[in-house]
Amino acid sequence: MKYIYSLFTLLIMISCAEKEDIAKNWQLSKTIPITGVNAIGMAVGSEGIWLSDGDHNRLVLINDEGKTVKTIDSLDRPMHIDAAEDILYVPQYGNDEVSVFIKEEKEVFMLSDSLDAPAGVSSYNQEKAIADFYNHRILYSKDGKDFISFGKEGKAHGDFYYPTDVQITENNIWVADAYNNRIQVFDKQGTFLKVIGVDQKMNAATGIFVNPTEVFVADFENDRVLVFNHEGVLQQELTKGVEKPIEVIQHQGQVFVSNYRKSELLVFDWKAIPEGENVGEDTHNHNHNH
Amino acid sequence: MKKIVFIVFAVLMAIPTVQAQKNYDQFEVQVDGLGCPFCAYGLEKKFKEFKGIKKVKIDIETGDFSFTYPSEKALTIVAVEEQVKKAGYTPMSGRVIRHDGTIEEMGGVKETIAADAEIVTESAFVAGNCEMCQARIVKASTDVFGVSTAAWNKDTKLLEVSYDKNATTLDAIEKAVAKAGHDTKNHQAKNGTYKSLPGCCAYERVEY
Repeated sequence: MKYIYSLFTLLIMISCAEKEDIAKNWQLSKTIPITGVNAIGMAVGSEGIWLSDGDHNRLVLINDEGKTVKTIDSLDRPMHIDAAEDILYVPQYGNDEVSVFIKEEKEVFMLSDSLDAPAGVSSYNQEKAIADFYNHRILYSKDGKDFISFGKEGKAHGDFYYPTDVQITENNIWVADAYNNRIQVFDKQGTFLKVIGVDQKMNAATGIFVNPTEVFVADFENDRVLVFNHEGVLQQELTKGVEKPIEVIQHQGQVFVSNYRKSELLVFDWKAIPEGENVGEDTHNHNHNH
Repeated sequence: MKKIVFIVFAVLMAIPTVQAQKNYDQFEVQVDGLGCPFCAYGLEKKFKEFKGIKKVKIDIETGDFSFTYPSEKALTIVAVEEQVKKAGYTPMSGRVIRHDGTIEEMGGVKETIAADAEIVTESAFVAGNCEMCQARIVKASTDVFGVSTAAWNKDTKLLEVSYDKNATTLDAIEKAVAKAGHDTKNHQAKNGTYKSLPGCCAYERVEY
């Protein structure tokens, strides 16, 4: 019996080793038209993907084909939203509110500080963070009630120049420091840890998504999405089909990119690099688990 | 007591009537280069802060920006044009429809280039980042008398202008562009003007 287990383990190891040998990267699989929607934010809720359609002051829930399933209207420039099951967190740039929708019922997120154009929000268990665009700062709360504020206008480490998006992960807070053209990483006391992407000559880092191994950044004016590892080393540059990208998320293993002005979502899959394809743009070769 | 209640009631009833009688002028401005929503919505937001302004609306796709303002304030279309520029945006055309139906258009008639003009085409480096920069650079160039066409490429940062060499010079065009907030090879924009540009236009400054 022992030998059978050993043989089985060996087979699994061989199979894994084979898997590791195949060079993979993110490849464009399909384009989903979202006619009439200019998606600035995307978030995955219990019903599917919600889009914030800032130009038309609404949120839109879409199905797999990009068709509108339902909408939440009468918002004031909703931006980078976030979701947790049935709860939607909506920063409204126009009226300086962060609204919370629980099964489409609206509540206002109470803050003692006044915001000036909240552009992004992140929810991670009880923790919440807000990118406060015109105040050049990030607000962060461990319990969703008492917030600390960090950052000021500037170009030094820890400063911001119009932060547009934020994401909380287990240990860090990641900020798309849009017009400083970089990503900044902080601990949960708001202490600056590192900067990512300064060598990439980004032109408006408008959206960020962080998974356990990668950091995706929407490089708006350069029509590309950059994929870094957590140490800030560039892994891949997504350019195929990408035009004025403003938001990136990952859902069910796929990466979704919103082409803001073209009313479409691009879907990328983690696939083996086709034979003969050059390593470089869109095909940067790397191996890791997803 | 009855009398007081009656007076309060009468005053409350009168308030909506007074408000309804307030006249508003309708302002419509066509703004170019609204590529980035964060900055485009910023224009709307900045104007919302003006006391008395109502119905502020911006259509990002068309660049149509409109609002109403109390007629008694006699806000001019020139003042609006200046305010839009000060906020870092590029007004291309505009008008105000006064409450009595009269219409005032933005800008005067541009002088036409002479028939015997000697048109030359030249290029110059102009710092900038985005579509909003592009709109501002092109407008600043074509507003110079003698310039027939202008185009700026955000990747190469080159401004290509065709102009009547008897009417203006490349240096004068560069000066106008710098005045609008963009560094050129030979002329630097004032710090204050540069700082008033929207966030997306915060280009890397030229070192002289």
